[in-house]
Amino acid sequence: MRQARHAGESDNAHMNTDYLNADAMTQAASSTKPSDEMAYTPPTGQPVLETIHLRKYFPLRQFKITGPRSVVHAVEDANLALYPGRALALVGESGSGKSTIARMLARLYEPTSGSINFAGQPVRLGSGAGLHAYRRQVQMIFQDPFSSLNPIHSVRYHLSRPLRLYGHVHSRREETQQILALLDRVSLSPAEQFIQKYPHQLSGGQRQRIAIAQALAVRPKVVLADEPVSMLDVSIRLDVLNLLLRLKEEEQLALLFITHDIASARYFAEDTMVMYAGQTMEGGPSDEVILAPKHPYTQLLISAAPDPDRIESENAGMPELSARGEIPSLINPPSGCRFHPRCPHAMPICRERFPGRTALGGGHWTHCFLYGEGNTSDSAHDAVATASAHTSPSSPPAPTILPNQ
Amino acid sequence: MTTGSIYSSSAASSNILEVNHLSVEYAAASGTVYALSDVSISLARGQILGLAGESGSGKTTLGYAITRLLREPAVITGGQVLYYPSDATQPVDVLQLTPSQLRAFRWSKLSIVFQSAMNALNPVLRLSTQIDDVLRAHEPQMSAQQRRERAHELLRLVGIAPDRINSYPHELSGGMRQRSIIAIALALSPEIIIMDEPTTALDVVVQREILTEIVRLREKLNFSVIFITHDLSLLLELADKIAIMYAGRVVETATCRELQRQPRHPYSYGMLHSFPTLRGPRHRMTGIPGSPPDLRDIPPGCAFHPRCPLAYESCSTIMPTLRRSAEETPDQLVSCHLYDVALSSERVPTNADFATSYEAAYAQSTFRRR
Repeated sequence: MRQARHAGESDNAHMNTDYLNADAMTQAASSTKPSDEMAYTPPTGQPVLETIHLRKYFPLRQFKITGPRSVVHAVEDANLALYPGRALALVGESGSGKSTIARMLARLYEPTSGSINFAGQPVRLGSGAGLHAYRRQVQMIFQDPFSSLNPIHSVRYHLSRPLRLYGHVHSRREETQQILALLDRVSLSPAEQFIQKYPHQLSGGQRQRIAIAQALAVRPKVVLADEPVSMLDVSIRLDVLNLLLRLKEEEQLALLFITHDIASARYFAEDTMVMYAGQTMEGGPSDEVILAPKHPYTQLLISAAPDPDRIESENAGMPELSARGEIPSLINPPSGCRFHPRCPHAMPICRERFPGRTALGGGHWTHCFLYGEGNTSDSAHDAVATASAHTSPSSPPAPTILPNQ
Repeated sequence: MTTGSIYSSSAASSNILEVNHLSVEYAAASGTVYALSDVSISLARGQILGLAGESGSGKTTLGYAITRLLREPAVITGGQVLYYPSDATQPVDVLQLTPSQLRAFRWSKLSIVFQSAMNALNPVLRLSTQIDDVLRAHEPQMSAQQRRERAHELLRLVGIAPDRINSYPHELSGGMRQRSIIAIALALSPEIIIMDEPTTALDVVVQREILTEIVRLREKLNFSVIFITHDLSLLLELADKIAIMYAGRVVETATCRELQRQPRHPYSYGMLHSFPTLRGPRHRMTGIPGSPPDLRDIPPGCAFHPRCPLAYESCSTIMPTLRRSAEETPDQLVSCHLYDVALSSERVPTNADFATSYEAAYAQSTFRRR
């Protein structure tokens, strides 16, 4: 029985899980030293979920029939790939389009153009059976556990719905058994007590665990986590993040982790992608992107993030920001690269068009004319191969705001 | 005035505000909520004091109690809030002020920037009206012309172009709304400003701009700040001194540097190590096991003991009080039995001890999972 197998897996795994190995496959050999560092291995094999040139425009209500059609340009040309047992962090400020991408992947929004591939096959949906089959594989965890659970239903109800809807249980006894196993997997013990509780009897962290258990009940391959810890108490956040990490390794889940906190992206995800005003700016291995940011926007984000290590350094005090202001309106976004009005390195060409993807080696890439023209027609998985043929990432300009390292 | 993060003990004599043994209770239908118990903090002139804690730790209640903004069912059950005016030697107990004295005290001596300040502006009034309102109420002798000039001056001070003064709040961005709120708080040049999570709803770049602005204004106008937030990593950069709260009590007060080098309370250590870092090696972090207590039913003894990896018998029976943690750090006070020689014969714990005990607690909790 499937549930039993899960429990067995976890049993073997818990001795050496919880260590953040980048590659879960090597975890059996991992040492049990607490400060085990995480090594990066590039993704291999086929992505389980992939987007190609994904776009989303939201039409606005028109007051004048003859007037110009206005739309919100929420996401432009997003290419990303999720691999089993790995997490991709999507980092950006509010209004950068990161949640829109997750909602398109969850098929809550219909993309304006572009395609989504699941296990190499384009997702054709429509509704009904196709959508049901897709959601069996792709589940979402929402930001706010205070509004994502129904206050009038018990934990049992919340977890029994996905189990029944996706045909994993056929009797009440089976249902109880599996719900208890699920509660155990999200570290809610004693499970027998939690099963009959109502959301108002649970703390924020416990509610989010129920929401995670709800997603797991479907037995998905992909989990989309939209700011899963930002509503939780500080001391609880790490607990929930560690739970998701453990599940990622134990169940080989492909995770999309949406966050505005760039430090937790580095902690949680092997790969990071930075978005600004609907455009993707930079991406690659999390350590590369965050420790050696190339795009001026990523550099700005990192210099603005709280960093207690900074006060230990010589030039204590507030860091100087290289750019001010906020995300522009996406109804009439700036032309070309949308960061150009705030960019300290902006050139005339930045106003004219959006640069293609420039590979910087080691899976790190950016969309910025400072590093080359890029190749405008590449997609996520062949970016490294094609872009490096077109551009030479030589002599990048000295970034003025690179945090001290 | 103290500068940077260096807080000297001589500054203790020049306190502008002292909170002594303050207790606040909420009389809720389901039982009394002990929101603040015996809280004592001090704020030195020109200093930024950070109040850190999780939700429900009482930090906002403390801010409201100092300004006497608490309403029923909250009751201040004991303690003093002493304000030391710069021109008098005798302190004033804010809790004893009459309503008219209180009206004169608020805003001109002490003002507050509220949580979710984005929504603290009245949406149907122009910015000019809202600034003018404060000045008209508190400075009746000012002429309309003087008030207009003062409003322009305030906006310039916080970095808003004065021609935006006739805007409605919805016409301003989040960062500008936050700046306007700070401008209004500054209207009567108060000596103390309480900022309750002033940047929580803002994006990280805007948050940084506002923080830089606060530091700049503090240097220019020399006011003191009580900065309330749950984000300890932010406080470490901003504040001179930090008080960490847990379950309605202050568990540790220290300067930023002391706290960063060697937190004394196990909870402080856990909090500091709950934030992933931007730099350095990536390694597994354990966090703090368990969740914060229900304030209607605070565990006996030290409220943190059920979650504390270093707890021993005395922790669940005897209530710890703030005491000096070590000879070399006289200003670092901690409320923990580990530093009480009468109760604990063991040596004072170091960061490494904290780390191993949290690791062990974490390993045990994952083991118990099966």
